[in-house]
Amino acid sequence: MTAIALTRKRPFSGGRFLVWVGEHVVLVTVAVLFIAPIVFVVLTSFMTSDQTLTATVWPNPWTFENYLKAFSEVPLLQWFGNSALYAVLATAFMLVSSVPAAYVLARIKFRFANVIFIAIIVAMLLPPQVTAVPIYVMWAKLGLTGSLAPLILPNLLGDAFSIFLLRQFFLTIPKEYADAARIDGNGEFGVLWRVIIPMAKPGIAATAIFLFFHSWNDYYGPLLYTSENPAWWPVAYGLATFRGSHSTDWGLTTAITMLVMIPVVVIFFFAQRTFVEGIALTGVKG
Amino acid sequence: MLAPALLGLAIFFVYPLIASVYYSFTRFDLVSDPEFIGFRNYEYLFTKDPKVATAALNTLWFVLIMVPVKLLFAFFVANLLVRSRRGNGVWRTLYYLPALVPPVASVVAFVFLFNPGTGPVNTILKALGIHGPLWFNDPNLSKPTLLLLSIWVMGDVMIILLAGLLDVPRELYEAAGLDGANAAQKLRYVTLPTITPVLVFSLVTGIIAALQFFTEAAVASTVASGKAVVGEGTGSQLGYPNNSLLTYTQWLYVRGFGNYQLGYASALAVILFIVAAAFLVVLLRRVKAFTPEEATA
Amino acid sequence: MTSPTTWRRALAGAAAITTAALVLAGCTGTAGDQTIADKAPTELEGTVSFWHFFADREADVIQSVIDDFEAANPKVTVDVHSGQDDEKLQKAISAGTTVDLGMSYSTDIVGSFCNSGAFRDLGPYIDRDKVDLGQFTDTVKSYTEFDGVRCSMPVLTDVYALYYNEDLLNAAGFTEPPKTLSELEEMGLALTTYNDDGSIKTLGFNPLMGYYENSAAHLGPLASAQWLNDDGTSAVGSSDGWNELMEWQKAYVDEIGLDKLQAFTAGLGQEFSADNAFQTGQVALNLDGEYRTAFIDDQTPDLKYGTAPFPVVDSQPDLYGAGYITGNIAGISKGSKNPELAWALLKYLTTDTDAVVKLANGLKNVPSTHDALASPDLEVTPQFQVFLDIAANANTETTPPSPSGAGYQQSFGDYWDKYQQGQGGDLADGLKGVDKEINDALELVSGP
Repeated sequence: MTAIALTRKRPFSGGRFLVWVGEHVVLVTVAVLFIAPIVFVVLTSFMTSDQTLTATVWPNPWTFENYLKAFSEVPLLQWFGNSALYAVLATAFMLVSSVPAAYVLARIKFRFANVIFIAIIVAMLLPPQVTAVPIYVMWAKLGLTGSLAPLILPNLLGDAFSIFLLRQFFLTIPKEYADAARIDGNGEFGVLWRVIIPMAKPGIAATAIFLFFHSWNDYYGPLLYTSENPAWWPVAYGLATFRGSHSTDWGLTTAITMLVMIPVVVIFFFAQRTFVEGIALTGVKG
Repeated sequence: MLAPALLGLAIFFVYPLIASVYYSFTRFDLVSDPEFIGFRNYEYLFTKDPKVATAALNTLWFVLIMVPVKLLFAFFVANLLVRSRRGNGVWRTLYYLPALVPPVASVVAFVFLFNPGTGPVNTILKALGIHGPLWFNDPNLSKPTLLLLSIWVMGDVMIILLAGLLDVPRELYEAAGLDGANAAQKLRYVTLPTITPVLVFSLVTGIIAALQFFTEAAVASTVASGKAVVGEGTGSQLGYPNNSLLTYTQWLYVRGFGNYQLGYASALAVILFIVAAAFLVVLLRRVKAFTPEEATA
Repeated sequence: MTSPTTWRRALAGAAAITTAALVLAGCTGTAGDQTIADKAPTELEGTVSFWHFFADREADVIQSVIDDFEAANPKVTVDVHSGQDDEKLQKAISAGTTVDLGMSYSTDIVGSFCNSGAFRDLGPYIDRDKVDLGQFTDTVKSYTEFDGVRCSMPVLTDVYALYYNEDLLNAAGFTEPPKTLSELEEMGLALTTYNDDGSIKTLGFNPLMGYYENSAAHLGPLASAQWLNDDGTSAVGSSDGWNELMEWQKAYVDEIGLDKLQAFTAGLGQEFSADNAFQTGQVALNLDGEYRTAFIDDQTPDLKYGTAPFPVVDSQPDLYGAGYITGNIAGISKGSKNPELAWALLKYLTTDTDAVVKLANGLKNVPSTHDALASPDLEVTPQFQVFLDIAANANTETTPPSPSGAGYQQSFGDYWDKYQQGQGGDLADGLKGVDKEINDALELVSGP
């Protein structure tokens, strides 16, 4: 026992050192393998189209042509605009509808509360394809297929995953705060607006970022609803379709791939803490 | 406050669930009215559909192999990262970064990397004297190649596990160390008991996601096939090569929105619902976050 | 843990909504009535939406003919949607009123669109305006109608043949294109070159199914192989030609090696780009449609190439000269708000000789009317003439329309893919399985 205690104070001796080296070898090797795909994609995006089909990995010469072509050969700005519209509106609508719903489920006792909560969990976890046909038929009857409306509008009526996540965050706020606000004469909206929302800001931000990313990355929804109308293609669907149809140009493809990644990475670095804590919370606070 | 959400549940969940059951007994192409045909769709599904078994088995492969492998790998990396060391933030960001890449972009990137003729992976293997395989173009390797992709983007799971590991009190390890426990014993008696709920949560959400696995496989097929879509439509390309990437939800898409057999697609949806619901009933009772009592406790 | 009562309540709630839901699900719009005006309108006006699948250069050709139509009818605006495949077209038609006139790249949808009413019956318009259907050849007439309902009109035809690279053939000492499949194989193998590591450098002929235009449909007529019986059921298992084609193709693949072929194919450029493997010289002999001549003129005008009928099975050398014929078809959508205008545009695109010739010259497609074929304005190169001859050959065949669309071709194509991978088992049993698959699918979509 003494021996163990001693080695703890001298981390670089004997076996400890080997463990340290071993761990770092693994850490670095895996990290290199993880970064390599991105490095290759970046390098290829700076190659001429002839060079992308050869067995070289280093651009020679370096060219920015692919990034310029990305904007001239495909309507990339329009795709970005559509993605932004989809993601921003979906997120805004979700917040308006889901924050109050999550609050009710987290903090107010009423009949059928459990039934509704279970329904939300099931709605969240069921594959969307289970309900795809009738919902598609519904939007087709309304004449709204061929647009992003079927993907944006439902968020006005709450998003199951967001409601669930927000409720989890709201549960972490001690009841006493809400009770105090009620005693001060606040109605439930007042409690939500003045007490809960300010205290749950990080959680709300995390939920918003999740839905934003989900919408930004969505492929299945646009495939189903807007594939026949290129004017409404968002960038994820555009990238998949562009690559599937009219080009073998890997330089251009990798350049567009990079451009599609950038907004997400930028948002991540600005909201890193919130985002990572949000992810962690979904799993841990369960 | 709850009214919009209730309306949402009714319109986008309860109604379509019931309507799916109704449509599943009809022949329906959206151009003409549904025509009631009894159990014909189900009879075809269980006895005649040439691809439904393949599609279900492919989905099962992703559930049984991709989910655990990704989880184990994420757990392994989280364990490496949990020790406090210099540059912690950098390591964590580095390992998390691929998870941020939009799925479509990551698949396109992987199809490029693993292109058997011109991709960097086979170029490097060739330099090492190894004859690289066909990856996404080989029906036996297409799923394992997607598995590599899913390992690459394990960051989302890894972060959850890392947060769980950081919640394990350090004193427990020290106490175990004093009792002479080795690394394996610490894992078994200290780490696992604390982290099990998090692992279960990750497993559950992973299985649910795998049951609806669509985007990655669909994009891999359409991009790797290299075929031009002239007039056939996306549905005709799904599953390439040799239906090895055809998942159940893609098959539902092909029948429903490629061939416009909405009645039959509804039958497929009903079966998917039953399978998913069976998973859910078991899982809901195991995951604390999904039980409602907490709200009123 | 969730209490049983909670679950029971949830179920009860669900049941309560069931009735309302069923009522909602059951009521769909009914088909628009098919009564039309006694006379064609004297002056056309309004907007008509036209959906087609062409892109890039080919879409420009379509647009130029649309411009002519608009110039002749100044009060008409044509709203053109290009790049729309069958899946998207069906989505748009079933969603209602956005499509007036829809065009498909193949005849595969004719069966299902005529059957479901997604495309309107054109009979009343044809009778009223006394359109002479005799101007189309019999094959073309057959693939634009289904079960007595004519719901589409042919917009040019596509014919498939052999393209060969003259420089590569001459360099290897060949002066004539092959006439039988074994000649093709012999020549193809002789023209194949390898890298030091054993991988393929250039290929004489690519026998892989799924590569560019290699498909069962395009090969069938070369063995007089049949798809469907008169009652619509599958003839694949009972038509001898398929065996011979498949065994030849598989043996050829095995001769070179499946892995090598796949690795080579995966590294090739996309079919409709300038990197097309025939245009780059990576493949010396290719199965392709007549439209390739236009792509070559546009993208690689310096390529020296010839065309010839595709080689036929050794057992039936008399078939040489025949090939596969199909075509673009167009029809008026069920939900069209302005069917008269759509019909006027359709009639213009399919029967106006000047328009047909202009389209044929621009797209380098084979015209679908006798007048256009005979027109002095039709540009005919020696390479293109081969396709006109194949189109006129008595043994040239098409894929028959079926209510399951291209489903029967997919079932067979899937099996052929498996077979070339060596996973198809016994060929005769496999083809019987394909028969069953096709018949089962047919029964699901159209059985009583």
